[in-house]
Amino acid sequence: MSDLVVDGVSVTHGSTLAIDDVSLSIRSGELVAVLGPSGCGKTTLLLAIAGLLPVQSGSITIGDREISRARRTIAPEKRGIGWVPQEASLFPHLSVGENIGFAVPRGRGGQSRSSSFPSEVAEGAAAGVRALSTRSAREARIAELASLVGLGDLTGRAPNQLSGGQAQRVALARALAPRPDLLLLDEPFAALDTQLRTGLRREVAELLRTQGTTSLLVTHDQEEALTLADRVAVLHDGRLAQFGTPEEIYQHPASDWVASFVGDVVELPGQWRYGRVVCALGSVEATAVGFTPADGDAVRLMLRPEWIVPRPDLLAQAAAGADARVAAISYAGHDAMITADLVDGPSVQLRMAAVELPDVGDDVRLAVQRPGLAFAAQ
Amino acid sequence: MAPEQGTTAAGVPDARTTPAAQSRSGAVRWGAGLRPPLWLVITATVAAAAAAIPLVYLLVRALESGAASIIETLSRGRVLEYAANSLGLAAATTATALVLGTAVAFVLTRVRVPFARTWLLISALPLAVPSYLAGYGWLVVFPSLNGFVPSWLLLTAVTVPYVTLPVAAALRGASGDLEGVARTLGRGPLQAFLAATWPSVRPAAIAGSLLVALYALSDFGLVAMMRFPTLTWGINAAYSASFDRAQAATLALLLVVLALVVVVGERTARRQLPRAAARAVAPRTVGRGMLISLLPVVAVAPLVGVAVPLLGLLTRLLDAATLRAIDVPRLLDAVGSTVGVAVAAALLAVLLALPIAALASRYRGRLVTAIESVGYLGHALPGIVVGLSLVFFALAVVPALYQSIVVLVFAYAVLFMPKAIGTMRAGLGDVPPRLVAVARTLGLSPLQAWWRVTVPLALPSVGIGALLVAIATMKELPATLLLRPTGVQTLATELWNRTVVFEFGAAAPYAALLVLVAAVPAVILSGVRSSAKEEL
Repeated sequence: MSDLVVDGVSVTHGSTLAIDDVSLSIRSGELVAVLGPSGCGKTTLLLAIAGLLPVQSGSITIGDREISRARRTIAPEKRGIGWVPQEASLFPHLSVGENIGFAVPRGRGGQSRSSSFPSEVAEGAAAGVRALSTRSAREARIAELASLVGLGDLTGRAPNQLSGGQAQRVALARALAPRPDLLLLDEPFAALDTQLRTGLRREVAELLRTQGTTSLLVTHDQEEALTLADRVAVLHDGRLAQFGTPEEIYQHPASDWVASFVGDVVELPGQWRYGRVVCALGSVEATAVGFTPADGDAVRLMLRPEWIVPRPDLLAQAAAGADARVAAISYAGHDAMITADLVDGPSVQLRMAAVELPDVGDDVRLAVQRPGLAFAAQ
Repeated sequence: MAPEQGTTAAGVPDARTTPAAQSRSGAVRWGAGLRPPLWLVITATVAAAAAAIPLVYLLVRALESGAASIIETLSRGRVLEYAANSLGLAAATTATALVLGTAVAFVLTRVRVPFARTWLLISALPLAVPSYLAGYGWLVVFPSLNGFVPSWLLLTAVTVPYVTLPVAAALRGASGDLEGVARTLGRGPLQAFLAATWPSVRPAAIAGSLLVALYALSDFGLVAMMRFPTLTWGINAAYSASFDRAQAATLALLLVVLALVVVVGERTARRQLPRAAARAVAPRTVGRGMLISLLPVVAVAPLVGVAVPLLGLLTRLLDAATLRAIDVPRLLDAVGSTVGVAVAAALLAVLLALPIAALASRYRGRLVTAIESVGYLGHALPGIVVGLSLVFFALAVVPALYQSIVVLVFAYAVLFMPKAIGTMRAGLGDVPPRLVAVARTLGLSPLQAWWRVTVPLALPSVGIGALLVAIATMKELPATLLLRPTGVQTLATELWNRTVVFEFGAAAPYAALLVLVAAVPAVILSGVRSSAKEEL
């Protein structure tokens, strides 16, 4: 099929290296998120895959077609890669319908899409529609795509009459029209307000899955990446920091940078003892990440706030917990973040469902309910 | 420890954020770092080379006669007088236009004037009147006018908008907060204006008044009608009376040098134009008496430059003797050739300007800047200089085309190409590169993307560019006089030929039709885009 393989790709921007030796492989039909902070090179990577920027070294392949390597960039129009840019970027001089149909050949002998989009679907569809009048086939395709993105009745509108969410839907339909082998989405929801964003991104992810479209979604929003993607590629300073399923990224980050970028962390200094870390929270079971500690080594223990639980029943063993006093509660409705001062040590944060919360000043006993992560001390 | 950074191969860790920061804001400029395609550079260079022909050939011609001959010509008494007259007229006109234009702009932006927009439009009207038409209108009423003073005052009246419009725009954009701060810090109204507002208005005022200086230096029609011997007048006299081509070339060279100095100054001043979005000062309400006393300031230029000439023209036109003597076929002939050359010139200018505008709108670099600057040369060259140089050029290089319509149209194209480059460059530059990139990912080749996305979006600016060239061509006089084929008369030359022999009645129909014909594209233009009016 048409897997995307990015192999050791570097891209320079002027004299600086924006993407540094990145390798990714995306299976056909997969939705992969590229997650990273502002300025990590996410968009640059996307533009290189689209063929809008040349690569300095490495190669990009779709199926068995090499589309980019140093000094050889297949033109964007010959790649069969769709692109949904950040701000919809609809053609202002064309109606919604004409925007969607921009790449749908019109009339006899219009440029043949099947050569540049070598997917069987396109071949089959092209053969099928040849029987019909091409004009009505084109109209039908536009109508089909418009209703696919839920804008069936808006094809006559001008782009400036659309809301931000509608414009993004049109941009998506326009990119899907030539049945691309791969769809690139560059923060398509960033410009929308929170409410609309949550709904639209769920809808889009579902649509892409039902269409079986292989997609690469660039985002700086951790929640977006974790909830939507089959796998997440975390990019940091132009390098690939980790590539894995959302759960792997969150539960088993490959570095302390990934750990703290992807979610909240509690960090405590401690000492490595037979697979456990002795720290202010007691002796906590932990996995060492990125190094092999020896007994007695100083390490940093990293926990997610929800891994720490209060044990008011005092039944827990002394070895499995530590005494603390609740110092502050940050209430967020569905859950709450609690700051607790450890009796002998610093304060830690824990997240718990907001069903039965302690009060500020309460004494609690804290335990860690799953193995933590140990990183080498600085 | 930051494990990811420790292993990064990039040599410049700080700089790594810069390009990526651009990508975050969505402003990755995938065209900016790239080299322009060779075919575009070549076509733009050819177009720029065409624009450079008049200046280059003038230099060749003037240098041919040798340095000794040039110095000899320049030191003649008449030449010094011409140069002094040109400079004096330009300086005086510039000074009065600067003062009057700034005053008008101030009144229109800072005082609550009834129908302020209409007044701004009225104050821009003199731009539409060619200087020689204003001269004709006044001569009809006062046939004895001549010399420095009428030339000075009339030139001031027709050029004031070059100062009024940019200064009014700058005043509207200037921060009122700053002036308020200055007031709270103890400055009086005038001091606060000078300290807080004037610095942001000054570049616009200087750029505008240098345009006035350029206009005054280049003007031929008005000074010739007023029999005030400036350099342009001297060039024409040297060429047509004695056919003393060496002397004409030397004078033209002198004029070009003066004009280029002014243009360089204008570019420098314009570069300093600050751009700050700020709360403007609200116009003040003043009493009726004050308003009435301000009225003459605003009205004087349109009155002198437009109303009186049109009135003179109308009275003479409606004269029974004039109406009886109208030679309709000849009149229609002149209209036909005026419109014909204007259309041809507009097409050629747009064609030549297109590659230059396409290049300058997308790419940077020394070569691109050089090509663009050469394309703008016509802006600095007085019409009579281009006319003279192309006479020489045609005679020496393409004698078959001498006195043909081809050379005339080419002269117009060189002279007015800057108008087309300016608007088309802006229009092409406004097409987001992202849209073109989207079209590419949708399967279009670069040429197809250009044709289906860039062209339709930039088309209005091409039309505006063509209209601006057409309007300027219809009003052009000195180059037309030198280059028109025998037997071909435009409205401007017919008006000119009759006015110089004081046949004001016979000239009237041509003047009236010139006003009407040139108004057609102007009206279309103001319908298309009101902002383009300043270009008129």
